Amino acid sequence: MKKISIIFSVVLVLAMVLSACAKTPGEKTVLNVWSFTNEIQTMAIAFEKDHPDVDVVYTMIPMTNGEYQTKLMATLGTEDVPDVVALEAAFVKSYVESDFLADLKSLNADVKKADVYPFVTEVGTYDGVLKGLSYQATPGALFYRRSLAKKYFGTDDPVEMQKILGDMDKYTAAAAVVKEKSGGDTYMVASNGDFMNLFYANRAQPWIVDNKLTVDPMVNKLIEVAKTFRDNGYEAKATQWQEGWFAGMNDSLVGADGKPKQIFSYFLPTWGLPYVLAPHAASADGTKTTAGDWAMITGPLPYQWGGTWLGVMKESKNLKLAKEFIRFCTLDETNLTNWATGVYTNEYLKAIDPNTPEGQSQAAGDFVGSKVVVEKITAGFDNSELSKFLGGQNSYGAFALAAPSVNARLMQGSDDAIQRAFNDPLASYLDGKITEEEMWKTWKDAVHNEFPDLIIP
Amino acid sequence: MVKSTLNKNKYGYFFIAPFIIGFLLFGLYPVLNTIGLSFTNTTMMTSHAKFIWLDNFKALFADEMFIKAMGNTWLLWLLNFIPQLGIAMLISVWFTSTRLKIKAIGIWRVIFYIPNLIMPAVVAALFFSLFSYYGPVNQLLVRAGLLPDAIDFIRDRTVMRSLVVFIQWWLWYGQTIIILMAAMTSISVSVYEAALVDGANGWQMFRFITLPLIKPVMIYILVTSLVGGMQMFDIPYLLTDGRGSPANAILTNNILMYMKFRSSKGHIGAAASVGILVFIITSFVALLIFYLLRDKDAVKKANGGKSNA
Repeated sequence: MKKISIIFSVVLVLAMVLSACAKTPGEKTVLNVWSFTNEIQTMAIAFEKDHPDVDVVYTMIPMTNGEYQTKLMATLGTEDVPDVVALEAAFVKSYVESDFLADLKSLNADVKKADVYPFVTEVGTYDGVLKGLSYQATPGALFYRRSLAKKYFGTDDPVEMQKILGDMDKYTAAAAVVKEKSGGDTYMVASNGDFMNLFYANRAQPWIVDNKLTVDPMVNKLIEVAKTFRDNGYEAKATQWQEGWFAGMNDSLVGADGKPKQIFSYFLPTWGLPYVLAPHAASADGTKTTAGDWAMITGPLPYQWGGTWLGVMKESKNLKLAKEFIRFCTLDETNLTNWATGVYTNEYLKAIDPNTPEGQSQAAGDFVGSKVVVEKITAGFDNSELSKFLGGQNSYGAFALAAPSVNARLMQGSDDAIQRAFNDPLASYLDGKITEEEMWKTWKDAVHNEFPDLIIP
Repeated sequence: MVKSTLNKNKYGYFFIAPFIIGFLLFGLYPVLNTIGLSFTNTTMMTSHAKFIWLDNFKALFADEMFIKAMGNTWLLWLLNFIPQLGIAMLISVWFTSTRLKIKAIGIWRVIFYIPNLIMPAVVAALFFSLFSYYGPVNQLLVRAGLLPDAIDFIRDRTVMRSLVVFIQWWLWYGQTIIILMAAMTSISVSVYEAALVDGANGWQMFRFITLPLIKPVMIYILVTSLVGGMQMFDIPYLLTDGRGSPANAILTNNILMYMKFRSSKGHIGAAASVGILVFIITSFVALLIFYLLRDKDAVKKANGGKSNA
């Protein structure tokens, strides 16, 4: 499925390039924006409403296998470099630490006014220079199925469930209960990928300390937990971001023998709710839906995961406009309110730009980075569609409590490469195809390949 | 005969100019640039680069990933090329045989060639979906009772290697058949008829007529396939995670080169050195093929002619 989406997006990008060429180079100023999802396109269209003289040309390149990062890197220093770039948490630091992004200090006053969570600006700052801003803050959570919780634990109340799943040992013990009571047809978690960010976010030291690759005990703990879950059949052996993983969200997962399988819980952060869980809660044929059957709790460990930052390329010919675009996306109170409360429907966007793609819209619920906006809109979620999705729970309020504790201390530009290199060795080890020793070696070889100058013990 | 006062020779240069310009710009310059880059530590995230002589190459030979990638590339190429040539040869002989007289050759040729027209990206995506843990192959095998439990094929090194080999074979055997058939049909029928009269059997005709006469074409197939095989990229890249997973089983030279290029610093200097090594190895083996399959009779005749004069 992801391969198809790659092809599809390549076609999409081509179509966009072609349609961009077809436009008459009239009076409109062109602002080139690159991203790895289509979410910012919504804001780009909203931006055009406020700035009718601007034509935002939006290019989407997926980052499933790092295509986006590669493409972006290849355009650095060339004519094709975009004005505004979206940078994902896993690699935003490598750009913030480089010389390619423009200084955003002209936005400092707005940052103060919006009362942005310190973590957001910390990530975007290097050597005291602000180079990137995000519209979101991204604390993580554990989402579980209410009906399954009732069935296996006799309660679906978030407070009670937090007591049952409150730390990793309890979570593992609960997984055993789920397996036993379901006869192995309900898995506690869908993939080993679910655990990764959970443990990475709880490390005590970053990956690189004094130019030396450092394996925090939390990484060992990750391997231990993932292995326990795999060997005991608590994990569905799906692959994160692929068909089986999504199928579990709408109860359409079917084992090879034709038996239906269920997934008890998913580890997802703020953005996971409106972008991942909610859109996949209904099965493709529309016969099954799990909407209303979910609840969220902090889970075994507090963590944070992901987030998209925006930066302006230094070589941009429209520096001022590009900075205005960033201000609009990340600090503008009206925009962020519209963004988080579901104002940007497909019809709304089509009224601005009739060429808006079908389905392009922003559902309510993304957790924004401005505390001012968060405080203003939290109460509004008490009775929203999103709280209905969570069986009446106000996710926004829960995330608002978790957001201030998020910190950027661990983030480094090399995270993405190091963590990507670990996915395959870990998966092969869990599957029993290689030994633990071979796993470390394969990983270290791959890291060495990425960072030849790094000291690898 | 009236001798033209106009010298038409120069027009020839005009006609070949587009190619020459194109080649210099898009062929020769990148090659020279790559050679230059391979001696530097250029990265894409910094603007300064140093000349570091052979350090990139030294690092490569010390890097087990490179050795592994080189081994994988050869393994995957040989495993798909040998059956590819064998099966293509067999089918070509059958379809050009004057005795079998198979009908509707054109349609068969199209059928053999069609896989080659499908985009590798599509084929890779298709096979990835087919063999994924919750995919149709597992469902079919388990429900038919052939497997007790689903297998994670995507994590199995042998399965993934076999898939790459199969896909490469399946994509390219049609191409080889077309070239071989063209070569075989160009051999004069009278040669075979003479052999028949002399009482030669099918194998003898193949061994002593067909094989020697299609040798130039064989060299062409070998060398082009070698060049393509050493640069194998799209299928193994797209089939799994783009890093040669599982456990580097389908990591090829070009994937490694691409990984170096797209690493978070963008080490194009180091990536170029992989490209240069692949270039050197391919050239060497191609020349070896030319040498081993050279027309020994022609060499002898040429020498004999000289001594007579």
